[in-house]
Amino acid sequence: MFVLRGLAVSLTFFVLFYCLLSALVSISWRGLRWLHTTERRRADLLFLLRVLPLLASVIITFAFVVPSFQLLEPRSIDEGMGTMPAALGSGALFLIFWGCYRVVVAQRRTSRVVARWIEGSRPFEQGRTSLAFRSPREAPPLTLVGMRKPRVLVSDSTVELLTESELDIAFRHELAHIRSCDNIKKLVFRLSPFPGMAKLEAAWSQAAELAADDAAVTNVHDAVDLAAALVKLSRLVPVDAPPACTVGFLNGSLSARVARLLAWDDSRRLQRDGIPGWAALPPVIVAAFCICFAYGPLLDITHEVTEWLVR
Amino acid sequence: MCRGPSRTDRMTRTFSIFGSSSAPQLGPLEQLLLREIWARGNATVRELLDDGKLRQAYTTVMTTMDRLYKKGLLDRAAEGRAFRYTPRLTPQELQRGAALDGIRQLLGSDDTSALPLSYLVEAISAHDAQLLDELQLLIDKKRRELKTGEPDTGRPRRKENL
Repeated sequence: MFVLRGLAVSLTFFVLFYCLLSALVSISWRGLRWLHTTERRRADLLFLLRVLPLLASVIITFAFVVPSFQLLEPRSIDEGMGTMPAALGSGALFLIFWGCYRVVVAQRRTSRVVARWIEGSRPFEQGRTSLAFRSPREAPPLTLVGMRKPRVLVSDSTVELLTESELDIAFRHELAHIRSCDNIKKLVFRLSPFPGMAKLEAAWSQAAELAADDAAVTNVHDAVDLAAALVKLSRLVPVDAPPACTVGFLNGSLSARVARLLAWDDSRRLQRDGIPGWAALPPVIVAAFCICFAYGPLLDITHEVTEWLVR
Repeated sequence: MCRGPSRTDRMTRTFSIFGSSSAPQLGPLEQLLLREIWARGNATVRELLDDGKLRQAYTTVMTTMDRLYKKGLLDRAAEGRAFRYTPRLTPQELQRGAALDGIRQLLGSDDTSALPLSYLVEAISAHDAQLLDELQLLIDKKRRELKTGEPDTGRPRRKENL
């Protein structure tokens, strides 16, 4: 009974924190629009916000709730589980299974579609990257596929339509997605379902595309070539709805991307991010110190809330 | 040569026929006053007239503002013996609402909802093709600028790559 009660209380805390943080994130993420920073940093922050509810709930549950129950709950008392922990614990289990189910379904569907696209493909190097494959089948124009072994799949029509320089910059764009693991991030989103997160994911997707554009382009000629590649490939008829765990070349708002590329300024490449990476260090250190010193009292408070919940 | 109305034209006309739309229908003076309020942020009837842009009588403007308030497009607060009006929606919000309302009306117009949907897809595809043409023109222009090293003045377009 003690173990069951501990499990129910931990899951209750997990689901409460998860829902509370998710609701806060789904309301407040739009504030990032006013942040003056690079698109890479913006995409990273949006990703962090999207996974924060799940990450923080897991950390809080394992760092506070489980130890407080283990240390402070007397094992000798034969207490019931309580209606609230039983209900919320079931809700948490459903949420966890639902998240896992979404991941498995997305992964299986992606594998099935990608296997069809990749059938009969051959390496496409031409002085570029060994990660590129040319597909003779009806595949999307240019897509990043695969998790453990990411590959850039290019269709025959794309090779015929684009010039050498346009193809080259389009590949560099996809390689930027590989470096930032964008397809894996898309799968992570599936793990933590919550209503109202679709807009945040769309904003992340747009920022990730712009960040990949920035990483690929080194001068104004590259920018124009990338814009031309985007417009040319947009004329191709889409063959399939892309599965969840792939990153297509034509994601995001086309007109916004092209307008941004045509207004490319070489000085943008040298532009430094407004917020240096080390700026996050002092708050993290302060928070770590606070938690270290207040860990005991925090466990007490957690246990009191636990008792209140069980009653 | 006089041609009959295209399918898109007919669709546009269909939108305007929906008098019972939940989106507010605005007359010319209402639109003008709404634009003035958006430009100023807030105003009283007297302030609008003192600007000299409006030729209408005080009572006409007052009645029209009252109508905009009743249509839910303006807020008002008493200021002395008059009202100070502020916009309730931004231009973008109003446009978005009208567009969504039109689409909803179109999709729910009769039982055979696939037909209006096909019109919509056709209109969007035509819009997409036009947008791509416009973007291609901009790219060609930029390429010419980069080649000559000076801003393009609109010389004939060179067919490139495609």
